Amino acid sequence: MQRGERPNRAVPDEDDFLLVDRVLAGDRRAFEPLVRRHERRVFRVTIAVLGNIEDAEEAMQDTFVKAFRHLDQFRKEARFTTWLTRIAINEAIQKRNARKNFMPLAEAETTEQQFAPRRHESWKMSNPEQLYGKQEIHQIVENAIQLLPEIYREAFVLRDVEELSAEEAAEVLGITVPALKSRLLRARLMMRETLAEKFEEPPTLKAKIVHKAVDVGTAVAMRLMRAAGRQGRNHEDDGLQGCACEFVVLRRR
Amino acid sequence: MKTMDCKDVLANLSCYVDGEGTAELRTALEDHISRCRRCRVVFDTTGMMLKIVTDAEPFEVPLSVSARLYARLEKILSEV
Repeated sequence: MQRGERPNRAVPDEDDFLLVDRVLAGDRRAFEPLVRRHERRVFRVTIAVLGNIEDAEEAMQDTFVKAFRHLDQFRKEARFTTWLTRIAINEAIQKRNARKNFMPLAEAETTEQQFAPRRHESWKMSNPEQLYGKQEIHQIVENAIQLLPEIYREAFVLRDVEELSAEEAAEVLGITVPALKSRLLRARLMMRETLAEKFEEPPTLKAKIVHKAVDVGTAVAMRLMRAAGRQGRNHEDDGLQGCACEFVVLRRR
Repeated sequence: MKTMDCKDVLANLSCYVDGEGTAELRTALEDHISRCRRCRVVFDTTGMMLKIVTDAEPFEVPLSVSARLYARLEKILSEV
């Protein structure tokens, strides 16, 4: 079998249905274009669940073998891609659960505080490729996705990489739409924090002071700003930062 | 709609970046972020993060992985 052209993101469902009909009518070769059209999505879904290429490859192969063998069970009420994605998720989850060291993260174990945004600097990009090469950005994004805990990674990849609707993503993951949306929000906040390390502007001195002071109140920030005005010009930076730290330390005692 | 605080606004971040929610909700969110720099940065940079991710098209199928998939399928499709 030859590897074909890259499939488009938006694959028309009717073409999938025609190919499925041909396979079911005995034209087994019609399964090849179906694989070409969905290979990338299946790979992304399995890597989202499993987090590494080796396991994702095995799950991807098993997904297509299973889809081929059970194609007669596909009902056209659903999209072919949703049916296939559900098989891929199940294959990947089975593999993940079989790992000896697998420790599922329960949502109950996470707290709102963990997802509170900590980085508040703007990003220095209108075009990120001015900062990094295309390959570098690709790597930054993949690393950030792989850092997400699995339940957030699944939600993020299905919605924001594969662009499934919230309803479709919830369906293939076997969770409710509100649960999907809650995981997605957390995933997006975590992704933002991770990418901020690479893309944010270095904070200005004023911002550093305000950030330090924000925990202890605006009054402190005001005093810091007044103190800043009194600092000598040559040693402005050191003096201001020292001031900020001192105020914060004093207020916390 | 009553004025939203930062926590309410953050809870509706997805609505905003996905272009969902009622006109009233969006107006309330826009009103808040026009006045609150911290929330504005979070909203703007979340939008940027999503654009970076979409443009990067992560997780291409490596050629070797693809080749092994087709080799395995070839065997199955050739079964009589």
